[in-house]
Amino acid sequence: MESAGMKIVIDDRPVEVEEGTTILQAAKQAGLHIPHLCFHPAFVPEGSCRICLVEIEGLPKLELACATAVRDGMKISTQSPRVREARRGVLEFLMADHPLDCPICDKAGECKLQDYYQEYGLFEGAFKEAKEKRDKIIKIAEKLILDRERCILCTRCVRFLSEITKTQELGVFRRGIHSEISTYEDAPVQNNYSGNLVDLCPVGAITDTEFRFKTRTWFLAQSESICPLCSRGCNIYVDYHPGFTRIPGTAKIYRIRARENLEVNGRWICDFGRYGFPSLEKDRGDKILWKKEGRDTIMSWEKILSLLAEKLRPRHRTKNTSNIAVVANTWMTNEELFLFKKIFKDDLGLKKIFFADPRPGSGDGFLLQAERTPNARAAKEMGLELNPVNLDDLSKNTDVLIIFGPFLADLHDPSSLKNDLDKIRTKVLVSSHRSGLESYVDFILPASGILEKTGSLTNRDGLVQKFSAVCPPCGDSRPEWSVLIELAKELRINAGYYSRLTQPEVILKEMGKEIAFFR
Amino acid sequence: MACSKAWTRHVDEKILTEHFGLANLYEIEAYLERGGYRAVTKALQEMTPDGIMDEVKKAGLRGRGGAGFPAGMKWSFVPKTSDKPKYLCVNADEGEPGTFKDRYILTHNPHLLIEGIIIASFSVGIHAAYVYIRGEYEAVAQRLEQALAQAAQKGYLGKSILETGFDLDVFVHRGAGAYICGEETALLESLEGKRGHPRLKPPFPATVGLFQCPTVINNVETLANIPAIIQKGAPWFLDKGLAKDGGTRIFGVSGPVVRPGIYELPVGTSLREIIYTHAGGLKPGKKLKAVIPGGMSAPILKADEIDIKMDFDSLAGVGSMLGSAAVIVIDEATPILDVLKKVAKFYAHESCGQCTPCRIGTSWIHKIIKRMSAGHGEKGDVDELVRLASNIKGKTLCPMGDAASLPVLSLAQKFKNELESCLKDGSG
Repeated sequence: MESAGMKIVIDDRPVEVEEGTTILQAAKQAGLHIPHLCFHPAFVPEGSCRICLVEIEGLPKLELACATAVRDGMKISTQSPRVREARRGVLEFLMADHPLDCPICDKAGECKLQDYYQEYGLFEGAFKEAKEKRDKIIKIAEKLILDRERCILCTRCVRFLSEITKTQELGVFRRGIHSEISTYEDAPVQNNYSGNLVDLCPVGAITDTEFRFKTRTWFLAQSESICPLCSRGCNIYVDYHPGFTRIPGTAKIYRIRARENLEVNGRWICDFGRYGFPSLEKDRGDKILWKKEGRDTIMSWEKILSLLAEKLRPRHRTKNTSNIAVVANTWMTNEELFLFKKIFKDDLGLKKIFFADPRPGSGDGFLLQAERTPNARAAKEMGLELNPVNLDDLSKNTDVLIIFGPFLADLHDPSSLKNDLDKIRTKVLVSSHRSGLESYVDFILPASGILEKTGSLTNRDGLVQKFSAVCPPCGDSRPEWSVLIELAKELRINAGYYSRLTQPEVILKEMGKEIAFFR
Repeated sequence: MACSKAWTRHVDEKILTEHFGLANLYEIEAYLERGGYRAVTKALQEMTPDGIMDEVKKAGLRGRGGAGFPAGMKWSFVPKTSDKPKYLCVNADEGEPGTFKDRYILTHNPHLLIEGIIIASFSVGIHAAYVYIRGEYEAVAQRLEQALAQAAQKGYLGKSILETGFDLDVFVHRGAGAYICGEETALLESLEGKRGHPRLKPPFPATVGLFQCPTVINNVETLANIPAIIQKGAPWFLDKGLAKDGGTRIFGVSGPVVRPGIYELPVGTSLREIIYTHAGGLKPGKKLKAVIPGGMSAPILKADEIDIKMDFDSLAGVGSMLGSAAVIVIDEATPILDVLKKVAKFYAHESCGQCTPCRIGTSWIHKIIKRMSAGHGEKGDVDELVRLASNIKGKTLCPMGDAASLPVLSLAQKFKNELESCLKDGSG
């Protein structure tokens, strides 16, 4: 039996919704926003902020939009004079107990209280009494500061910790106007999801020490991306400062936030991912270098690629590629791994293909996976074996070595690494980050960081997720896919094929034709 | 206990306070001698659960806690078949300022309540009842515990009461002093060991109540009326009061009257009669200024408005309410600003803080009144009080928003001139 549709009218707009839909959800379906502060779609409605009150024809009192299920034939007004007055009243109460320190508040610009005041308030303050003094800098977690004056007691933070992480570190204490959010005694909020409290807080009551007082939200460009720090593939926003930074020398990425994807990460990301972003910007390599007779020479891409091609081409021509070794990693995108496989495995017919990835950590049973690399699944789906690097096998009878990524440096101790790499005549490093490998190789090709690339990743569950570059490439760096295509062109293998692959999207389409999984 | 004579002074036929004059009515022997537990015997041995519920419905017994919801109807909302246990919660959190009736019942006649609990539980199919008693009533709680122990010893509680196979345990839980825990859903939260915050309704406690199970919540006085309804029948009970509001009420009169105290009188007795006939009028030299007729949250009546029947509908008709039937008498010498200050302070102090209008509104109102009271009132302050109270009224999560705003509204509107005379004149 089909579920009966509920025909209702909201602000003269007829809508048909499923049984059990709340007024708030129904309004959203009708394209109407009903203001709400305590309501969050992930939690059971609490109905405490009272800003979502609406008028239902035939009912004497205003009702909560967040918690009232629609009934067939309901006529709802979200803009009647009574509703507007009640909404204004709630805003006025909230403002009366709010410090209005927006000029120094990190939330300013994306604060719900600001937005709603702008939209439904714009009244003059009538509050003539002394404001409540409350603590403004309370460290409730390693990276979280609670400001009780800004807090509107929506209890989203309390409910997140009781309903989602089930760790229950926060509660409401005291009563009435003295009500306050607090940890239990001095036990801090301590779980791998604490950073979500900052995203959840509709005002600036919970701020992040990593973001606090660093910039204004309106200077930031918001880009959608995928977290690369484990195989879950959580959807994220990367908030990035475009153009010049206001303080020279500071990082350009200011914060990572969760982006809703109910299939992958719900509405949350873990702290490991959220606070891992500085590592994406630190220790970047940005110059193309040839250590010619021990001296660093800055090169152009054209020069260095033709130099490399010259070293590889004769071996290819003579079908004598057994002394070439390559090391890949699964931070490379689907497209890059595909090109890597096409060129080195299929076209050059290499046997010595290794992978060097970050060491596994431990999963937390929720989002964070032990596998700390975003794209291992794709490599497997392409038929690439994730052979770990064995230094003996790597160096034995090897003339040319091409290393993708910085991770090899973490997996072996420097002396044995140097020892074995010294046996190889030509060593090429294609890496986004400096790692120490630079000192062992002859050619250094700077790769773009994952946030500077466009492409797709395949998460642990086999979901292929596309993403676009958040920011321009660092220095002279280029994404590996572009390096690989240019190299293939220089090698003059299958020239017609590679010259068609101009963009990651085209590559993905081509992959789909060749590998069913990516179809 | 003062005024002990007042209880027996004006009687025709009483339901709840009949034998209050006896020194040891709280002892089960004395209670049995006066015909105690006969209602339980009749109910359990001669009546069916549905029959009891019908009788209570027909008796027109309305909740004595304040809202006046018909008790029999409330019981009938509990699902007949449920795979979960059902609970009875007795609201003995008597926190409404001016109200002290339940305390007298619990102190002097606890077995009457216990009888009511047993009959109600039998009718609804409940095997565990909790009496949530306000924290300040320590001695009262002890007396109730003693009475429960005696009842259990005599076989009126515990396993197979009167060998009928009906089991019932009653537990006493003492509150910790929060007014909000008298609100039924906050009471449930508190009883569950949580912070006393009211719940969103629906779901209503009749289906999802204590520990997520179907629950009946009744006031002490409501349940104490049950034995008489069972013994003497619904028509008799209804006849004591009005057509839709049966029985008697215990009016608790406080203020500068000659005989403050509790008076059990038929529902519908006029307010003037209560004050002037029963409580003896105002003390010599005092003149009536106003009356709060139903506990502090009831809108105030001026001296010329007291010719009114004291029942739910009549008081609602004049914009006030019967509430807990606590009659607070205010004399001419009392400045209304002082009354207002007490009211505002109480609600600001007792707001649980869960929802915005009540948490911030009550505090804001209290701050304005404190300022007025300190002689810094400004022109427009009284209108501001009305505006703020209107923004609380009807917009909060639980009825406390109305409880806090209605008295402020009525005081500010009915005594506007007096209040404005306290303000600085001119521009302010």
